[in-house]
Amino acid sequence: MKHLKLFIPVAAFLAASVFFYMGLFSDPTDVKNANLQRPMPEFSLPDLMQPEKTYHREDLLGEVTLINVWGTWCVTCRVELPYMTKLRQQGIKIVGVYYDNAAEAEFSGINLQQTQADVKQMLANLGNPFVFNIYDKDRDLSLDLGVTGAPESFLIDPEGQIIAHRRGAIDERVWQRDFAPLVAQYQGK
Amino acid sequence: MKYLILIMLSLVSLTLTAAEQNYPFDDVQKEQDFNQLLQELRCPKCQNQNIADSNALVAIDLKNKTYQLVQEGKSKKEVVDFMVQRYGNFVHYDPPINSLTIWLWLVPILFIVLLAGWIILNSRKPNIAAHSISEQDKQKAAALLAEIEAERKNK
Repeated sequence: MKHLKLFIPVAAFLAASVFFYMGLFSDPTDVKNANLQRPMPEFSLPDLMQPEKTYHREDLLGEVTLINVWGTWCVTCRVELPYMTKLRQQGIKIVGVYYDNAAEAEFSGINLQQTQADVKQMLANLGNPFVFNIYDKDRDLSLDLGVTGAPESFLIDPEGQIIAHRRGAIDERVWQRDFAPLVAQYQGK
Repeated sequence: MKYLILIMLSLVSLTLTAAEQNYPFDDVQKEQDFNQLLQELRCPKCQNQNIADSNALVAIDLKNKTYQLVQEGKSKKEVVDFMVQRYGNFVHYDPPINSLTIWLWLVPILFIVLLAGWIILNSRKPNIAAHSISEQDKQKAAALLAEIEAERKNK
């Protein structure tokens, strides 16, 4: 009994060490998106290039689709465009959700013509992975999706359920690890 | 030096009120709710700032949304629920008690209870021993005292 007592401080020290060691390598910014495993939210938004055309949630259903929230003002988005273009060539359906810079929208306003010109130029330079681009005018869809910045990507299954999420750019490593197995599961069926 | 501090303090409060004036309200209650919500809602991008403090792009959108919802007549709880639905419990500085967060409250209480129990148990034993002086020691003490008394009288 007396010897057992001696182990209490040792055990406490070990427990604290393990706890702090885990803390060393945990990433506080790695917060799970609240929309995972939930249905894609409803929306009614125009096409970025042809604003008279309107898209709804139903337009995204039918096959497994990658939804990419991006903007020309966002540097990381530029980085992932070439890789995503490659994915499109491999038969992945990618839909863009165009996300204006909130600070710019707030202080100077957004000029749609200018945005369209920027998008055209950027996609011509770096590759166009998108089947079409939904223009998230007031960023309500992005807010419904719990987007914290650009780029962010969501993988939805044919029924519109969100099955994977990525905060930041998608590259080969991330795609193979988080997305490819899920896509294979649905495309194999 | 005093004046410098005064000037700096006045500058700080000026920027604070300037931020609030971007969102005009007719209703005092709504304005109060809105300001409290800005303090309570946490910026999902910048971790340790509320959305009133943060300049992150997403904080601008969350402020605008909060303003819109409060103007529509939503209660504070409804706005918080709206945000938690989209951004998770992370977005609120007052998270609910669940199977995980309950430990934040239980562990300190358990610790205090255990410590108090340990102190009580340990403080009893030595006290009993200390109070019970053996007959032998008492006699020794009496003898010593008598000796000292005798020495004093001799002087």
